[in-house]
Amino acid sequence: MPARSNDLALPTDTEPAIALRGIVKDFPLKRGAAVRALDRLDLEIAHGEFVAILGPSGCGKSTVLRLAAGLEQPTEGEVLVEGRSPAELIRAHRLGVAFQEHALLPWATARNNVALPFRVAGREVDRERVDALLELVGLAGFEDARPRQLSGGMRQRVAIARALALEPDVLLLDEPFGALDAVTRRRMNLELARIWMEQRITTLLVTHDVDEAVLLADRVVVMTGRPGRVLHVQQVEMPHPRGGEVTRDPEFHALVDRLTGMLDDPEPVAATS
Amino acid sequence: MSRVPGAALAPSRGLAAGGVLALLVLVEIVGRLGLAGPGWPPLTDVFGYVAKPSAQQLLGRALTATATAALAGFLLGGVVALLVAVLSALVPATGPGLERLAAVVHAVPLIALGPLLITTAGREATPTLVAALAAGFAVFVAATSALGSANDAQRDVFTVLGAGRASTLLRLQLPAGLPLIVDGLTLAAPAAVLGAVIGEWFGARRGIGVLLVSSMQNVQTDQLWAAALTAAAISLLAYVLLVALRGAVNRRFQ
Repeated sequence: MPARSNDLALPTDTEPAIALRGIVKDFPLKRGAAVRALDRLDLEIAHGEFVAILGPSGCGKSTVLRLAAGLEQPTEGEVLVEGRSPAELIRAHRLGVAFQEHALLPWATARNNVALPFRVAGREVDRERVDALLELVGLAGFEDARPRQLSGGMRQRVAIARALALEPDVLLLDEPFGALDAVTRRRMNLELARIWMEQRITTLLVTHDVDEAVLLADRVVVMTGRPGRVLHVQQVEMPHPRGGEVTRDPEFHALVDRLTGMLDDPEPVAATS
Repeated sequence: MSRVPGAALAPSRGLAAGGVLALLVLVEIVGRLGLAGPGWPPLTDVFGYVAKPSAQQLLGRALTATATAALAGFLLGGVVALLVAVLSALVPATGPGLERLAAVVHAVPLIALGPLLITTAGREATPTLVAALAAGFAVFVAATSALGSANDAQRDVFTVLGAGRASTLLRLQLPAGLPLIVDGLTLAAPAAVLGAVIGEWFGARRGIGVLLVSSMQNVQTDQLWAAALTAAAISLLAYVLLVALRGAVNRRFQ
């Protein structure tokens, strides 16, 4: 990775891993009208940082992730991932992504689903890495199972293993546990915390679950909707690794309550600043 | 219904067999009583005709010719249709134009194409070509919608992984669309048989279509019915085989 930074002649420690600057995103409606999803949004994520974007549904938080993933183009402003456009990173197969819908290939086994990024990139499948990833996400022994034979939580684990397959520079997670029940979700949060401790990849997580955001992230960005803006940025000081005991910590609950309060407030004063 | 194998399938099969039997009995009664005139013989007379060795030889030759033309047309039409659908997936700009072309070709009645093909492609090739046209359109329509059947999240994953068009086609669109493509083949198979018979109608040397025309002109009612039933039997057989294939594909790819 240092080699790539040298190519760009940019020192790694000053250039953020993900930079969104002055982002405006309009979605066209019928008859030439447009709805503004994001309005002058700025966000920088440092290398190896885990940032969670928290916000009510429809606040444009998924749009932020889709911009970073190169799936949407900003109307105004600049999106840089590792100092380059997302399209360049996509071409270099340096992005990993997981959505709320697991989007696994139903005809392929867990192993072949995790091997997909290798095949798509035209590289030889690293079977050892694929099996190691399945073990990392706790699916050793399920290598030959097809998605239909796996539970919802297990499918999301496969999707996360797939996102990690090519050792991406940046991991983008859009509500990856949004379709799971509360108990499974909590267990998956703790799993992701453990996996992230082993990989330390720059991660952008989009969620509407305050507990999930505080449990996992170094920094929580609270967004307000219509148009989407950054309402508040909360540093989470609790040290990693964070296990189940963190959720019983009073500091954790105080933080969750504060952030939940911000989501509840329909017309936050800070949004106009 | 197909989600609950065994339990729901057994009575529905029994019902289907009962229905077919009831229909055969009805056809026999109408023929026996002469309710529909001399053109509708009792089924037992038709079977009696088919039991004759000379009739079997005649029908056998016709059956071979028609089945060969239908199969060749089915394969030709299917392969061309799949290639065109793949082309429109790889080069999206060509999509709307190719779809319109297919619709225009399909809008020309096969009956009108028959004489045209006889004069250009010849009597030997016409049944195969008409079968190919009939089957090809069904496969093309199914394949174009099949290649668009992958869901948005799967497409997004492929985009972010940096998959090219060919790779997306091979690893996502084709496997995701296979059940729909097989659905198209299921419709295309009887269409190919019908196309082959129509193609023979215009002056092929042998085949069920020829047999139909000559039986009709010579008022050989039993032979006419035997030929029609043979054509229906091939059509049905092709359909049953493809339904079995569809079951296997659905189990594997959904």
